[in-house]
Amino acid sequence: MAEARAESLAVNDWGGGAHPYRVGHRKLGMWLFIMSDTLTFGALLVAYSYARAASVAWPTPFPFFPSIVFSTTMTLVLLSSSLTMVFAVAASKKGKRGTARKWILATMVLGLTFVVLHAIEWGHLIGEGLTPFEIPAEWAEHWQGASPLFGSTFFGITGLHMFHVLTGVIYLGVVAARIKKLNDDVEVAGLYWHFVDLVWMFVFPLIYLLSVDYAGVIKQITPE
Amino acid sequence: MVESKPKEIKMLNMVLLGLSALSLLAAVLTVASDRFKAGTDDVFLVLVCLSLALLFAVPSLLWAHANGMLKNPFADEAEDDAAQLEAAHGAGHGEHGGSNRENVIVWGGLLALTAIEVFLAYIQINVTLMLIILMGASIIKAALIVAYFMHLKFERLSLILTVVPTMVVLLCLFAILFPDSFRLHKMRSPEPVQQVEHQGGAAH
Repeated sequence: MAEARAESLAVNDWGGGAHPYRVGHRKLGMWLFIMSDTLTFGALLVAYSYARAASVAWPTPFPFFPSIVFSTTMTLVLLSSSLTMVFAVAASKKGKRGTARKWILATMVLGLTFVVLHAIEWGHLIGEGLTPFEIPAEWAEHWQGASPLFGSTFFGITGLHMFHVLTGVIYLGVVAARIKKLNDDVEVAGLYWHFVDLVWMFVFPLIYLLSVDYAGVIKQITPE
Repeated sequence: MVESKPKEIKMLNMVLLGLSALSLLAAVLTVASDRFKAGTDDVFLVLVCLSLALLFAVPSLLWAHANGMLKNPFADEAEDDAAQLEAAHGAGHGEHGGSNRENVIVWGGLLALTAIEVFLAYIQINVTLMLIILMGASIIKAALIVAYFMHLKFERLSLILTVVPTMVVLLCLFAILFPDSFRLHKMRSPEPVQQVEHQGGAAH
């Protein structure tokens, strides 16, 4: 049995005339897209790490409260949306389309919550004077020699991620609306959604958790 | 299927394994002799050697696996066979692995890892140590998401072998840039006088 199984794994697949992956073309396409998108985000995160490691100083402007608590809540929301998406895929595999649609809608609501929370977070930073090409003058005073690349990496990475989440919400909306006509699209959409969640698992520690403002600089700049 | 003599196949596989071992040896020798003194070039050389070793080893290891010489340590044999049987009987909607309960447990694990990360950020530890722990936790989290949520653990071995090693090798190749980044940092680092100023600036 084991031999026959292994045989079918290694020989038949690549001997020609077979479907080596045994997945539908949509799913394979999504996997290929995810691989290329991984490299996009990988390149951005590496560029950010490169700029940060090469700089003399780097702003660490996120006080534990409210910024880190806020972004942790966002992480929680995104992780939970992954779980609801898993339930949606499981339901659609069992043929329960109504249940799958409800779970997809729950995922969309959580995704939108994430986007709204993130937009509020952006609003705070923009209010402090952060732009993609400049850091606020007060920051430059406290973190002497800090690179203005902080803004471009922050807005670039989190912005692209937010764009992915928004696109995902629209994608899920289309899938939910046409769920009666679809086959494995719920599963494929799920792959995309989990990937967006996965990317945030790297963005959150690298951007937020490594830039905690322990010295209370931000509080001095903007007293409540 | 082309019929070939088993002896020839065995020979070819041994040659491949030999090449793989040679590449590994080259990588080890590079590290041992230069210890990354040449910076970027050495990192690149070692990475290329390791990729070559992987490339050479995979076909022969797969062949060994196909002939039952190598057991997949990750696969639960009985469970896998059951899943195969199920698939063979054409059920199609047979859910191999990844029950909802299992997924909830994975979700709990992800939350726990996140909680640990945030806690570490709260108590403030050394930045380098923090970076290593955070990246480790993130890689575990990514693996959990890919394996369970994205269902890759329950896909065919061929798909796993196409996706995972490619991603790992390509992402590791990005690391080639970092020696240059550290060099820049060294060149830009301020004189001791300026450093004092910097500390003073942070204090008040």
